[in-house]
Amino acid sequence: MALTGRQKKLIWNSIQIVLILIFTLIMLVPIAWIALAAFKQHVDVYQLKLFFTPTWENFRIVFEKPYELGEKLKNSTIVATATVLIAIPIATCAAYSFSRFELRGRTLLLVLILATQFVPAVVIVLPFFVMFRDLGLLDTLQGLVLINTAIVMPFAIWMIKGFIDGIPIDTEEAALVDGSTRMQVIRNIVLPMAAPGLVTAGIFCFIIAWNEFLFALILTNREAVTLPVGLALFKAEEGDLWNLLAAAGIIIMVPMFILALIIRKHFVQGMTMGAVR
Amino acid sequence: MPPKPTMRDKHLKYVLVAPAVLVVFATAIWPLLESLRYSFYAGRLSRPDFPQAFIGLENYTWAFLEEPAFWNSLWVTLLFTLITVFLTTFFALAFALLLAPGGRFRVGIQSLLILPFAMSPALIGVSFRFMFNPEFGLFDAFFGAIIPGVADIAWLSDPTLAFWVIVMADVWGWIPFLTLVLIGGLASIPRETLEAGQVDGASGLRILCDITIPQLKPVLAVVIILKAIFSLKTFDLVYMLTNGGPGDATQTLSHYVYFNGFKYSNIGYSAAVAWLMVIPMVLLTYAYARLVFAKESSD
Repeated sequence: MALTGRQKKLIWNSIQIVLILIFTLIMLVPIAWIALAAFKQHVDVYQLKLFFTPTWENFRIVFEKPYELGEKLKNSTIVATATVLIAIPIATCAAYSFSRFELRGRTLLLVLILATQFVPAVVIVLPFFVMFRDLGLLDTLQGLVLINTAIVMPFAIWMIKGFIDGIPIDTEEAALVDGSTRMQVIRNIVLPMAAPGLVTAGIFCFIIAWNEFLFALILTNREAVTLPVGLALFKAEEGDLWNLLAAAGIIIMVPMFILALIIRKHFVQGMTMGAVR
Repeated sequence: MPPKPTMRDKHLKYVLVAPAVLVVFATAIWPLLESLRYSFYAGRLSRPDFPQAFIGLENYTWAFLEEPAFWNSLWVTLLFTLITVFLTTFFALAFALLLAPGGRFRVGIQSLLILPFAMSPALIGVSFRFMFNPEFGLFDAFFGAIIPGVADIAWLSDPTLAFWVIVMADVWGWIPFLTLVLIGGLASIPRETLEAGQVDGASGLRILCDITIPQLKPVLAVVIILKAIFSLKTFDLVYMLTNGGPGDATQTLSHYVYFNGFKYSNIGYSAAVAWLMVIPMVLLTYAYARLVFAKESSD
């Protein structure tokens, strides 16, 4: 049977749609399965049930003793928020300068800032552990904020620089000629125009700090434990408490899903630091 | 007439950069050098007078000559990196080619891809431990249904299978993001080049191999290097999924360093191994920076 070009195209297109659906299914099923488990009763988790009576019970239990996920939620929120509030202004100043001025060693500095991003965390954490122990910063939120600020700083500088690069320079020059100081120009002209970019970078850094695991694991043990590390609470002697783990997982991921969808458009650009345009 | 802006900003431009540079260098360069110093000492974390005795290169020679576990974790890490880089790049490219044409359906799927990426690797590790549970794991049931021999296998208790579960979890977590990156790359290929191929009557496969892939090379290179860097560093996923086990079958270098430093409290040795990890990182980062800046200067 000879196929016309049209038929061939139609068949090829259908194959593509099927492949896309299979791919998407593989991507979403683990997330959906965890989401389902969060609403299951203990017994239902241990049978591969798709239909069950949903319950909010798990979400209540995780906030109670001995788990007290509320504490971890509070810690994660404080750490991620403080990190963003400290990192974004510092990064914005630097990004503005990198974008607008001829700095000595500008390219080298930018490369080095980028490079610190790729240093394995296990190398960095050793001296920090010793220093934090000596300074009494172990298991404190301040310590975690410091670490996370350092982690997000390179991302923030590169992302914000990218946004400022995209703002035309003419208005700034006009304002300078009219006698504004540079700080006034930054406050009155650049910041309002860069605001969407700053929000994107802020959300991006929030997600990174929220999901950060290794430093939080090593540098905290009781008081300052964050959500991802808190997942370890649900390992009991009789095995993992999967319905509770799933509920905790939902509490960790849903806020990040919402934030990620907000900045979807700029997500890729921010992650690759301008490598792909 | 106001003074020239550039004159006035002579110092300001450095003042603006200073705090950020200070933060970055104090938190990256200092600990790097400090780790290097530790690596020449015998140091037990449990004692306050750390580090205790200068022993030169002994930590390094110990790793190379006396520790099969070091060679094991090096091997696991290299194998893991090679396989995950290949698989993620391959599937991400395939998925990107499928989704790139656009249209409401495909764009809708593209925005769903953001979800797995917003998941922390630690949580992905937990999810996959759940999915591969031999009694009630969904993937276990799925594989059991299509390949009868593997029903109710204790995936994470078998050294080889546990390794592949880690690979699957990592690939699963990275495909969506790299797909989005490659879609961005595909969108930047000039339409005329592709249309020229179509006019010449070249088949879809020919266009893909002769036009699309070569044009995509710079972006592909960035994707491969970026993924290699993150594969070499893998920790969260392993810690949550297998904790290096069974035995040390899935122990990556990061996990090995963590164990020696914080479980066996042997900081000097752990710093030495950590520094051995820095070397390939420097090379990869150099390659990455070259690529990124080659693009920047050609813009």
